[in-house]
Amino acid sequence: MKSIESLNVTRGARWEAKAAQYRPMLRDQNLPADFARDLQSIFFSENPSKFFFILRTEHMVVEADSNVQDIMERLQTYRNRLTFVFEGYQYQLGDFNLKAGRAVLNGESIRGIVLEVEYLPVSSIEKSRTLLQEFVELWQDVISKHSLNGKISHLEPPFGSYLLSDTYSWQHTAVQYTNMMTHFLSQRS
Amino acid sequence: MECIMQGIIETQHVEGLAVLLQGLCGSQRQAVKIHDLCLKSGPNLGQVPSEMHLMCDLSHQEPRWIVRHVGGAMRGAGAEQMPALVRSVLNCRISNNALRFFHSLGYKLDHELLQTGFKFQFHKVVPITVSVTSVCKIPKLHMIEEAVPITPGLQLVEVSASTSGDNYTEVAAAVSGLAEQLAP
Repeated sequence: MKSIESLNVTRGARWEAKAAQYRPMLRDQNLPADFARDLQSIFFSENPSKFFFILRTEHMVVEADSNVQDIMERLQTYRNRLTFVFEGYQYQLGDFNLKAGRAVLNGESIRGIVLEVEYLPVSSIEKSRTLLQEFVELWQDVISKHSLNGKISHLEPPFGSYLLSDTYSWQHTAVQYTNMMTHFLSQRS
Repeated sequence: MECIMQGIIETQHVEGLAVLLQGLCGSQRQAVKIHDLCLKSGPNLGQVPSEMHLMCDLSHQEPRWIVRHVGGAMRGAGAEQMPALVRSVLNCRISNNALRFFHSLGYKLDHELLQTGFKFQFHKVVPITVSVTSVCKIPKLHMIEEAVPITPGLQLVEVSASTSGDNYTEVAAAVSGLAEQLAP
């Protein structure tokens, strides 16, 4: 974030995304359980009326009104196993919207830094792909020039396997952030 | 939460009721066509069995899906004084892959119904919906075109309104008041 703010970019509002991973509640652990064990969810502070579920094995993203959480609470079939909070600040740089922040596991351990880049004029994923890659490469140069440690690692989101369209949407963002959560969980702490 | 009263009407009197409702409401009726799928949790899922309804509203060009959880009715001395049933209800819009989603979570289809008819929206104290529908069973899985009425000569009349925890007395009275105007 120091490297972003050194370019006299205006800092915008705070942002937050809360992701969770669930496990099924079984009456008898010894009996077979023929249902999903990889349920994830994500909620975005900028889109408070919506809530998203991801089933990774099924490559399924489900979008619902945010009160679906109340229904899941009443059903008492899946329990929250862990929570990831992504939080930071937004920045506007010309036609690009940047979100930079940290990923915190269970409110305690910082597992990494996240950088989200959005190119505002174009919502086609394919048409904006090259431009976004070049922007991130430029940003890597900025980080190096400021003698900051670290390298930006691009996480290729698996949109194709979720059968999402080329037009970017909140469902794409849901897949990206839960993909990031899975990536951080697979890294050693 | 919801306040609701239910009754039945013979099919031959439905159009007469529709005329009465239009006169009382002052607006046009709206079509109702809802595919109601009742899902129940699998044998080992959850500490207690649970169920919910996936309602597919087919009255629009694009089907709209809602997940609905109906909780227990209000109990106790206060509830017995109520002129209408007061119960916990949650409705939530959801994307059209909801059935496959809940199936993956371990929910099984228990039964499915098709409700067709019409409804009127009133504004008395609070928004109140009066619906008159034929409730049909679906003999073959998801084949709504082959739905047949469960009670061919009778249709279901429901008078319902949403309520919060602190105004259900007034809402129940309004629902009951409107229902009385419809009684033969």
